Amino acid sequence: MVVVTTGLATAVVLAGVLIGAALGLGAPLVLCLACSVAVAVAWVVVRHSPRSAVGPALAWSSGCVAVVQINDVLAASAYGPDPLPLASVAAHLWVGSWPVNLLGVFLLLLVFPGGARGGWWSTLPWVYVAATTAVMAAMWDLQQSDGQVVGDLPAPRQVTLLIGLATVGVCLALAVLSLVLAYRRGDPPSREQIRWLVLAGATVVVCLVVGWVLGSLGARIEVAYGPFLVAIVVLVPLAVGIAVVRYDLFDVDRLLGAGAAAVISAVISAGIFALVVLGMSQLVRAGTALGPSTAAFVTALVLLPLHRWVSRVVGRVLDRERTVALAAVNRFAADVSAGRRPPEEIEAVLRAAQRDPGLVLVLAAPDGRWVGMDGSPASKPDDRAADPAAGITVQSRGVPIARVRLTRDSARTRRRIGDLARVAWMPIEVCRLRLALREALAETHASRLRFAESSAAERLRWAQDLHDGAQQQLVAVGMRLRLLQRAAAGDAGLDTGLRLAITTELEAAVADLQGCVAELRRLAQGVRPARLEDGLPAALEAIRDATPLPMELSVDPGMLGVDETHALTAYLVVAEAVANVLKHADASRIEVHVAGHSDRLTVRVRDDGVGGLDSDAPLAALRDRVSSVGGTLDVHSPRGRGTTVSVVI
Amino acid sequence: MRVVIADDSVLFREGLARVLVEHGHRVEHAVGDVASLLRVVAADRPDLAVVDIRMPPAPTAMGGQPPIDAGPGSGTDGDPDGAEAAVVIRAEHPATAVLLLSQHIELRHCVGLIGTDGFGYLLKDRVLDLAEFDAAARRVAAGGSALDPEIVRALVRSQSAPPAVAGLTVREREVLALVAQGLSNVAIAARLHLSDRTVEAHMRSVFTRLGLHDDGGTHRRVLAVLRYLDVRLGPVAESGSVP
Repeated sequence: MVVVTTGLATAVVLAGVLIGAALGLGAPLVLCLACSVAVAVAWVVVRHSPRSAVGPALAWSSGCVAVVQINDVLAASAYGPDPLPLASVAAHLWVGSWPVNLLGVFLLLLVFPGGARGGWWSTLPWVYVAATTAVMAAMWDLQQSDGQVVGDLPAPRQVTLLIGLATVGVCLALAVLSLVLAYRRGDPPSREQIRWLVLAGATVVVCLVVGWVLGSLGARIEVAYGPFLVAIVVLVPLAVGIAVVRYDLFDVDRLLGAGAAAVISAVISAGIFALVVLGMSQLVRAGTALGPSTAAFVTALVLLPLHRWVSRVVGRVLDRERTVALAAVNRFAADVSAGRRPPEEIEAVLRAAQRDPGLVLVLAAPDGRWVGMDGSPASKPDDRAADPAAGITVQSRGVPIARVRLTRDSARTRRRIGDLARVAWMPIEVCRLRLALREALAETHASRLRFAESSAAERLRWAQDLHDGAQQQLVAVGMRLRLLQRAAAGDAGLDTGLRLAITTELEAAVADLQGCVAELRRLAQGVRPARLEDGLPAALEAIRDATPLPMELSVDPGMLGVDETHALTAYLVVAEAVANVLKHADASRIEVHVAGHSDRLTVRVRDDGVGGLDSDAPLAALRDRVSSVGGTLDVHSPRGRGTTVSVVI
Repeated sequence: MRVVIADDSVLFREGLARVLVEHGHRVEHAVGDVASLLRVVAADRPDLAVVDIRMPPAPTAMGGQPPIDAGPGSGTDGDPDGAEAAVVIRAEHPATAVLLLSQHIELRHCVGLIGTDGFGYLLKDRVLDLAEFDAAARRVAAGGSALDPEIVRALVRSQSAPPAVAGLTVREREVLALVAQGLSNVAIAARLHLSDRTVEAHMRSVFTRLGLHDDGGTHRRVLAVLRYLDVRLGPVAESGSVP
């Protein structure tokens, strides 16, 4: 059906070309040749979508023109010396046949882009055919010469003609309306397709207006209306073809928007120019160059801001989605700059702006890995642009900083996200750097904690080595000396003086060894307090018992499961803080409070001393120790009212 | 008296064995891990087990030989160590007294035994005072107690003592501290250069002040020490030590 209809139109156009060529008539030949462009495009469309009515409609949009041309040629010959076959019939129809010219375009408007509209729209072509028939009937038998209708019409035929013409006009208007409705109800691709047609149609209108202007300025008619004719017979079919076959070939929205904005800006600035010239001629004497030069100045002054404004307005009207999306991302970037929103929301903002809930933003970490917004590793994106999952790359100074992967992927969405990403460059870069910073900080914390843990383990090992190694061996040696001493004391064969000397000497040696053992125990205690073996509370009690000042120790009874690193840190914090109090605070009592568990241990050491600790210097070592396990230290020290050191680890 | 020694250091074990032999005891076994200790105690029922508080739970060397030195970190939490072995022995073999030895003050799992009969706990270097060590060992084996002064000091909460103990005079506390170490009245008198009667008078005063009336037994002494030590004994320790 589609192929047959398209073939029929093709045959008609070919017939027009052949007739024009055979009779050596220039105008019909050129027109029918131009029509063959539309036919060729129509075949491409048919091949691309064999079920769509768009192809045949496109073919007939030129086929109808060819029909009218053939009819014109036949009718003209009826008045010549050598009438062609059917010439008399053609002559009757001659003048009234011109609504047929628009029948194909009318049908195209009704079926583009997705096929027949259905419903009562399907009756519209019949109405058009009826109206055309009415027009032809009204103008039956009229002749024309050099483009002018010869003869008058009786009143009834005038009424019929009027009704027919009005109906044709209404049908055309309704066809345009159907396209508008199709646009408003359409999905993004069909909107895109309609935009192509609108672009071509707008070009036709612009060419027509330019033709009027040039014609009124005295240009030759071929020059003035040539672009218009080319536009109508070449551009419109081409636009339809592109719309059906590759609707996302170019960014038609921007083309359309930029073109419309340029035309409107030009028209407004021409108007301004004319107004100023007119105004100046009223103010000053005619004939001076002041008017035009002032007008040129004013126009130049206005043109750029005007163009920007017009572009914005036109963009909002013609390409609302893109304008809204860009504005949203722009606003977000401004909010990020002003610190009102976190840059990490960029992914959500892009998803909303792009209308792609599956959109994924992948950041390039400084070390070359690709990571998601939360820092989790992402697979390395394929750089081939053809890979739909790869999305587009966002670059900063030539270095890729992120990739946007789309689930709704097309040339159009890519262009859109490209525009958005250019605007979103800054938040993305900030996200990436913040992520890198967070990772670096986390790594630093982890490495400090590892260091603290290994240090705690090391201390435990040292202390045990001291106890089980040196200390144990000293005791063993001491026992041997004691046994020797005992043997010497009981040996009657020894000289009394010598025996006394030996036993006395051995007594002193053992006493020295005992001193050594005590010293080793004290050293080991400093490395790691053995009382930690009985839990942090017991170890803290040992501190209290060794402190000369009254010290109130309260330990949360629910404190359980404190690991070695945290227990040792808490112990050392209390020991150092208490030592500081004894050294500097001139206090009369100390309060120590410990609570919490391994995940969050709070230690508070408070004294009633001089306070006024305004520099951190005395606590620097303490602070380092606390931050090594990822804790925080807080000092409250009003002058004369004691000092409170609070630690959370 | 028949003694079993358990210590993972061969050097110390041999030295201690010689010291005990020199003092007229019979060393039945010298082992280096908890499993061997429990085995020989169950088999021989010695009068006294001298046990290192830190010991590997089982022999680590080939052929069941005790290791020369299991090294640091052995007998850490989770495995039964010397302290736990002491608890087991006291519970399962009441005839065998236990004398725990340690390089430093740590209470760990033996808290419940402290102050009870047939249990002693000394720092290792006390061994070097042969006579005192022998006396402590004999006292423990005979069903008495022996606590290292350092351990007593660690146990006594010097500044938040229980109200009852806070009411004692300095001298009474001194006497009570020595009682806690396991010394008899006579030994305390000798240590403090007092007469036996004075020490007895102090103890009577202590009993009165702590509200401990003579119930015909000798448990008042134990109760007084427990009050003094305030070792946060659980119900197990109290029911186990006070009939």
